[in-house]
Amino acid sequence: MNALLRNRYAPKLGTLAAFAVIAWLLPYTVGGYAIHVVDIALVFALLAIGMGLAMGIAGQINLAQIAFFGVSAYATAILTTHNGLGFWPAAALALVASALIGLLVGIPALRMQSHYLGIVTLGLALGFINWTTNAEIAGGAEGISAIPVPPMFGVDLSSEYLYYYLEVVVFALALAFGLFVVRTGLGRRMMAMRDDPLAAGAVGAEIPLLRMTAFMLSSVFGGLAGVLYAGLIRYIAPDTFNIANMFLLLAMVVIGGRQSLVGCVVGAVGLTLIREKLVDHPTYAQLGFGIVVVLMVVFAPTGLAGVPARLKAVLDRRLGRTAERSVLRPFEPYEAAANVGEDAAAGEARPMLEIDGIAKQFRGLKALKDVSLTVERGEIRGIVGPNGSGKTTLFNVVSGFYRPSGGRVLVDGRVVSGSRPYRLSRLGLARTFQNLRLFGELSVRDNLLVALDRSRTYAIWRYALWPVGIWRQERRLHRRADDLLRRFGLTEFAAAAPGALPYGIQRRIEIARAMAGSPRLLLLDEPAAGLNGEEVRQLSEIVRSIRDSGVTVVLIEHNMGLVMSLCERVTVLAGGSVIAEGTPAEVVADHAVIEAYLGDSAMADMPLPNSTEVTS
Amino acid sequence: MQVFLQTLIGGLSLGAIYALVAMGFSLVYRTMGLVNFAHADVLMIGAYAASTFYMSTKLPFALAMVLAIAVTGLIGLFIERVLRPLENKDFTLMLIGTIGFGMVLQAVAVLIWGATGRAVRTPVGGAPLEFFGLRVRTYDLVVLAIAAVAVFLLVAFLQRTKMGAAMQAVAMDHEAATAVGIHVGRSNAIAFAIGAGLAALAGGLVGPLLYVNPTMGGTIGIKGFAAAMLGGCGNIPGAIAGGFAIGVLDSFAAGHFQGYSELVVFLVFTVAIMIRPTGLFGETTVSRA
Repeated sequence: MNALLRNRYAPKLGTLAAFAVIAWLLPYTVGGYAIHVVDIALVFALLAIGMGLAMGIAGQINLAQIAFFGVSAYATAILTTHNGLGFWPAAALALVASALIGLLVGIPALRMQSHYLGIVTLGLALGFINWTTNAEIAGGAEGISAIPVPPMFGVDLSSEYLYYYLEVVVFALALAFGLFVVRTGLGRRMMAMRDDPLAAGAVGAEIPLLRMTAFMLSSVFGGLAGVLYAGLIRYIAPDTFNIANMFLLLAMVVIGGRQSLVGCVVGAVGLTLIREKLVDHPTYAQLGFGIVVVLMVVFAPTGLAGVPARLKAVLDRRLGRTAERSVLRPFEPYEAAANVGEDAAAGEARPMLEIDGIAKQFRGLKALKDVSLTVERGEIRGIVGPNGSGKTTLFNVVSGFYRPSGGRVLVDGRVVSGSRPYRLSRLGLARTFQNLRLFGELSVRDNLLVALDRSRTYAIWRYALWPVGIWRQERRLHRRADDLLRRFGLTEFAAAAPGALPYGIQRRIEIARAMAGSPRLLLLDEPAAGLNGEEVRQLSEIVRSIRDSGVTVVLIEHNMGLVMSLCERVTVLAGGSVIAEGTPAEVVADHAVIEAYLGDSAMADMPLPNSTEVTS
Repeated sequence: MQVFLQTLIGGLSLGAIYALVAMGFSLVYRTMGLVNFAHADVLMIGAYAASTFYMSTKLPFALAMVLAIAVTGLIGLFIERVLRPLENKDFTLMLIGTIGFGMVLQAVAVLIWGATGRAVRTPVGGAPLEFFGLRVRTYDLVVLAIAAVAVFLLVAFLQRTKMGAAMQAVAMDHEAATAVGIHVGRSNAIAFAIGAGLAALAGGLVGPLLYVNPTMGGTIGIKGFAAAMLGGCGNIPGAIAGGFAIGVLDSFAAGHFQGYSELVVFLVFTVAIMIRPTGLFGETTVSRA
């Protein structure tokens, strides 16, 4: 494993050294104006990293990045010229200010997403520009001049050459930190949230906190850029922070590749340089950027950063090269926990899951009516019923996606109805989804790592103060991910994108991901759907082994063969109510069940909802 | 009371403009799930085109407007064609793509008409009318009347014509619409053209009220989107209500907070939309995630 970690990072050392040398020597080779342009490019690169973190990594549309930039630039300017603070204390306060504004702008993200968030953040950015052009303290349209030169142990930072070195150091540290975030637990969680917020919540990611974190990270990078900009230009005016520049920044991030921080940097530096080349023809520059953005979105949504991978894929196809066929290895059973069943037999344990009079209504549709059932510890419970009988709705209520209209759910004796999914995940509940909800743009390994990581989101303070702790935790997680991959026979698919894999393998990955959280109660929603006979046999072996390791399993299934052979008890739902419960043999003989499934004349009197099944 | 009513009336004409913007935005959104950020810049092009036909070519105002609507309708068709692969797929990408189109349109406007703006003569002059001591500009009444006619025609089109019914069907379920033989691509294209036409109408009408310049779309457009969201994205009555709400809010904010009115408008809007994320009338959308 250590070798693997090293392999992931080591070859970059040489590249890193080369970049350091180039960055060191660059000022010796360019003129005074060129270094000014480079200084500006680095400021934009910092801004773009922040934007990439929010938009590309966390999937939060943030069109207020330019305002974060402005807040810290203005705060630095006002605190130094108006309040007479030194540059660096002012800069520190400015960073705090932009982080706070970032949190404020992030609040709407808790309630809305995608284009809604885009318009709200853009509106707030317009509001900020409105403030700067009007407020006396911000100097109105003229802005603020005479910001002092940042002092630096006698180094004269009014020289743009020397300022360049300051910027390079800050930029390198910021980029390294950004990459560290992206490649460790926090970044993985944010990407999981981007790919599928529901599934991310179900594996324990605290979505609200993560969204706020994304905005805060974004604003801190914007704030850094603002401080550097104020110290570099030493004059600020509202024009710098207008919507046109916001969209230019967006173009940088999209053209570079929003899901890759390095791509964002390339986009920012590239577009700044091109814009300087076309400084006499700004309109043509804008026209060109606009056209490139449109083309990128349609033909290369991953931006320049995604081009190498696409080229490689095309080349491989042309040359008829195919990856070595990976093979799904057999599942390695869990060690059986010795005391399963004994607790239950001794009658000491509370039931694992109690559903007590649950009702769920969608407007007029009563999806669940007074459903009660009890699942004992260590049981495998089947839930069957015709389509639209409310099975998945029941799962969604139990796992916290829906708030029940009535009744309560107890897991291991604790009332959990109404809790958020991530809280239930922490209480030991895991689930899979009928329509597979894997994180599409994460590798199989990362899918499992997201679920393996049980640290709380507030533990991200360690990113700022104790990165070594994060590093150690990463190594532990990767080791456990290897074990899990091996156990589920998925080792050879570790690096693959789940969407490209056969359906049966995706189903197995989802079960592995659910088991990654070491749950006590596992809900499987139609785990056998789309599987062939052999795969169903393997599934039943896996489920049995999971149960034997001490996990209580509840599964929804249409494959009656599987239900009959696997489940100790079966609950039958129809029309949102429990119509039968008992051993498989008992329920198949039950008159009501036969009626519900096969239908006879009595069927016409049963108020079955005719809507399709409500999926999460 | 007098001041209150005067402020209220002051907000109505801009409110009608925002309502037109919001309607165009909503029509496109509900039909193909496309969030059109270029809408604002289509409006700007419409304003320029109308003012050019009206002032330089010396056509009557109404004819100039019709021509402007036709021009922007074509632009709308073009945008729709280019972004068609993304429809009903990725909101973020579409949003970025339309922002790219907005950049292009702005640059084109600068190339054709120059970076400095122009003032547009009011087509109907005369002293403001007086009702019970409240003054109303004649042009404001014209704007309200034209907006009302536009709303009427749009609703009639959606409810009375076969094409309109097909568009409603696509809005409800584009797969089912395909299955019953509706040409979804053509329906979308027409929706987009109508949306662009509504933007041009708003742009042409707002020309005499404000100053026509390449970046005018920014504020009007975003306030128009805000209106659409406030009313409930994709909801036509909601768009109208949202438009007037933003217009009146604008007017009162300008009265009470002068220069800071925009900041106040967007803060109030943000709070309102957080309280009711689906808007006053609820969202009508094609995206059922």
